[in-house]
Amino acid sequence: MAAQTKLERSEQINGWLFVMPALVLLGLFMVYPIVWSLWMSFQTGRGMNFSFGGFANIVRLTQDPIFLRALGNTFTFLIIQVPIMLVLALLFATALNDTRLWGRGFFRTAIFLPCITSLVAYSILFKSMFANDGVINDFLLASGLIADPIPWLGDPFWAKVVVISAITWRWTGYNMIFYLAAMQNIDRSIYEAARIDGVPAWARFWYITVPMLKPVILFTSVISTIGTLQLFDEVNVLTLGGPSDSTLTLSLYIYNLTFKFMPNFGYASTVSYVIVVLVGILSFLQFLVARDRR
Amino acid sequence: MSNLKLRGIRKAFGNLEVIKGVDLDINSSEFVVFVGPSGCGKSTLLRMIAGLEPITSGELDIGGERMNDVDPSKRGIAMVFQTYALYPHMTVRENMGFALRFAGKPKDEIEKQVKEASRILELDPLLDRLPKQLSGGQRQRVAIGRAIVRHPQVFLFDEPLSNLDAELRVHMRIEIARLHKELKATMIYVTHDQVEAMTLADKIVVLREGEIAQVGAPLQLYDNPDNLFVAGFIGSPKMNFMAAEVVDRDNGKLVVALANHGGTKVALPIADSSANKGDKVTLGVRPEHFADAGKGDSDITVGIDVAEHLGQTSYLYARAPGGEQLIIEREESRDHGALDSLTVAISARHAFLFDAAGKRLR
Amino acid sequence: MSTLDQATELSPAIAARRSNPSFNLLALVSRGLVYLLLSIAAFVSIFPFIWMFVSSTNTAADVLTGKATLGNALWANIVTFFTTVDAPRIFWNSAFLAIVGTVLTLIISSLAGYGFEMFKSRFREKIFGALLLMLSIPFAALMIPLFIMMANLKLINTYAAILLPAIASIFIIFYFRQATKAFPSELRDAARIDGLKEWQIFLYVYLPVMRSTYAAAIIIVFMANWNNYLWPLIVLQTNEQKTITLVIQSLSSAYYPEWGVIMVGTILATLPTLLIFFVLQRRFVEGMLGAVK
Ligand SMILES: Nc1ncnc2c1ncn2[C@@H]1O[C@H](COP(=O)(O)OP(=O)(O)OP(=O)(O)O)[C@@H](O)[C@H]1O
Ligand SMILES: [Mg+2]
Repeated sequence: MAAQTKLERSEQINGWLFVMPALVLLGLFMVYPIVWSLWMSFQTGRGMNFSFGGFANIVRLTQDPIFLRALGNTFTFLIIQVPIMLVLALLFATALNDTRLWGRGFFRTAIFLPCITSLVAYSILFKSMFANDGVINDFLLASGLIADPIPWLGDPFWAKVVVISAITWRWTGYNMIFYLAAMQNIDRSIYEAARIDGVPAWARFWYITVPMLKPVILFTSVISTIGTLQLFDEVNVLTLGGPSDSTLTLSLYIYNLTFKFMPNFGYASTVSYVIVVLVGILSFLQFLVARDRR
Repeated sequence: MSNLKLRGIRKAFGNLEVIKGVDLDINSSEFVVFVGPSGCGKSTLLRMIAGLEPITSGELDIGGERMNDVDPSKRGIAMVFQTYALYPHMTVRENMGFALRFAGKPKDEIEKQVKEASRILELDPLLDRLPKQLSGGQRQRVAIGRAIVRHPQVFLFDEPLSNLDAELRVHMRIEIARLHKELKATMIYVTHDQVEAMTLADKIVVLREGEIAQVGAPLQLYDNPDNLFVAGFIGSPKMNFMAAEVVDRDNGKLVVALANHGGTKVALPIADSSANKGDKVTLGVRPEHFADAGKGDSDITVGIDVAEHLGQTSYLYARAPGGEQLIIEREESRDHGALDSLTVAISARHAFLFDAAGKRLR
Repeated sequence: MSTLDQATELSPAIAARRSNPSFNLLALVSRGLVYLLLSIAAFVSIFPFIWMFVSSTNTAADVLTGKATLGNALWANIVTFFTTVDAPRIFWNSAFLAIVGTVLTLIISSLAGYGFEMFKSRFREKIFGALLLMLSIPFAALMIPLFIMMANLKLINTYAAILLPAIASIFIIFYFRQATKAFPSELRDAARIDGLKEWQIFLYVYLPVMRSTYAAAIIIVFMANWNNYLWPLIVLQTNEQKTITLVIQSLSSAYYPEWGVIMVGTILATLPTLLIFFVLQRRFVEGMLGAVK
């Protein structure tokens, strides 16, 4: 290639100058830690003394009942919570997309409101509401739906239910906004044409709305998956992973391994790489599913 | 008022060569128009002159100085963009004074220049508006005003009128011509529009796939095109091209037979010795140059598909017996709608001949 | 068949449906269901906020028994909150981190987003692709090495430890790059001809033209910073530095939580984001949309 001209050179230099500060910071605080923790995941030992352990950590993973517990819990949350939330969000968005609906603005704002609260604030709120003699039990008892108070946070099953309701409460509105936006981009005349052709409402939803929203549905399911796999704040405030590890998540386990017990950085890094790998696999699968149906 | 000299200018984007060696001289105060089909490199060439696009190789001189590596703002040029490129957050006044502000000119000096430009372009009542409060034509005037304020030696226009409606386009075209007269600056103007090219230019540069196909005064290109490409590009409706074969050479005349017109022979005053008997050639006749039957050199009869009557002129969309499409222009005739076929004459002095490679035979 | 034929053929069917009473009833019922569903959703969404305000006026004992009416302990709760914790201090800490973090993030990340879009080169495109891949790396995976790094740099218990890893946000870089695609490159060309240097073009042309993009980004980043929990929990260990999020969480994990007092804290923690949301509601939604496009 010919030698660069002065103009080309200054264009190149400027290009680097604009992105350099960000790249330096990302290199230091993102790339370096990732590489470092990959290396760490092959080390064993406690505190700051470690030695190369090869695949020892990976072997340990398969035999660690707490890890398997956390993995199972995380998957339970993922499989139950993400679909419920996305379906709810899609339903609300469809209802709110109707211009003839009275009070649209109010409903939209109300359903969106939870996602501006801080994770910690709403977790605390839920903790108080779901206390043994809290407002939820009082309400259920008073309405005669249950005879005895439910030990929400003290029972492995109900604790999961509380965590799932909490996350769903917080994030449904958030996903709904993405769907609403995408729906507003769909040309209204398509629906009008379908109505003239006598296509019933459910078919319009299923054969027009859903396929046209596919990219956004994919996007929301990927970000929700990532979010759920990283679940930390809510469980740490609501249950601390209890009772008896029934709501322990991978992130919380990593935190415990690092900062609660005698730190074991190598093993904790291995667990964190499990999340990385899971995010990668699941995003890829979701991507494949979305593509196949096209 | 500078002259420009382009020598062996090339531009490559990665491995794709877009400008393939352009040599061009532009005189001081000349109005030069670049035309050519979409994607032929007009904007790229203009942007290299402006300094917005680095020159891959070759030499660019403006006013006798080598400008290849000079910053766009120091080349003595100003540019008017197709999309106007007005700063949307600034008023008309601020838009026009922006360059002077960064050249460190004092406030009253800027104000004076802006006033002067707005007088020339009649922008006074609009000075405190934002671009979004202006019509398309007004925006384009502001864009031109922004260029004038800098007193450039060379004005560069990249399809400045193509976002305007037809009527406004005519109006602004005249405005630009007036401006050229008044400022006497060198102007380089890129357009798709034949009429703009023909009416504005002192000199037209026809570009084709990154190379100059021909340079010349507007009528020179019309009367005397160098090649099939220029012949087809200049003139509207397009020149008709008819497949032919050289059949004879006869005291300074070349005789060709029209393949799709039953071998009708046309004898042309062409001395070029490179054409031999049996060569495939193309005969070009402009729609406006067909004569009435018997009044030219050779008669041809064509079938008429559609007739468009525009009042003074009519365009007949015709078909040769061999299948070729032809357009024939007729003046003051209104009865062709009913016709199925028509006989017209080709006059040798208004016909052009091109060899198989598209080169003009003279 | 032309559309006209179709329309005339269908119109009797439509007319029949319109006049059919059972069809109307069905429409009415389904409409009622929609309102019911939305009302429940709205109630469930808003109830915790109401509960938060009601609880803040009640004593801890009343909160625990689920008293759902306004009490008269609000003032006492406020007083207790302000005496138990150094409220101005933690509020200032949160605000400082959120504001400084937002400003720095916007500067660095918007510069990068602009740079990636405006100055394209093959090499930088590859880097950008790599950044997008890293977007899905969970924070949990970075937490340990970052902590050790901060410990080695002696930055534990400093705000630098919080700010440094957050300033260059891949998500915000991506957001600005997407938004920059709508910024006409002719404006940059015009400004270059007008004699502006690249940084001047960014400052005097790009920034003012893109102000609504910035507004949306401010809200997104501010909220994320204000609500940040896990990382501050790890690196801020002294009481003087704790943010409001950390403080209310530690209050709530007491053995006998003072719910009324804690609710005063959660209101204070929620109020700024609530205010920002209502003031800039439209921009906020636009900003989120900009991110998907
Ligand atoms: N930045 C670029 N990178 C790669 N190729 C480019 C770039 N800019 C232009 N090209 C290519 O260079 C060729 C010439 O482009 P240019 O814009 O100069 O055409 P043009 O003659 O102005 O066309 P139009 O009349 O449509 O404006 C085109 O094929 C175009 O695809
Ligand atoms: Mg162009």
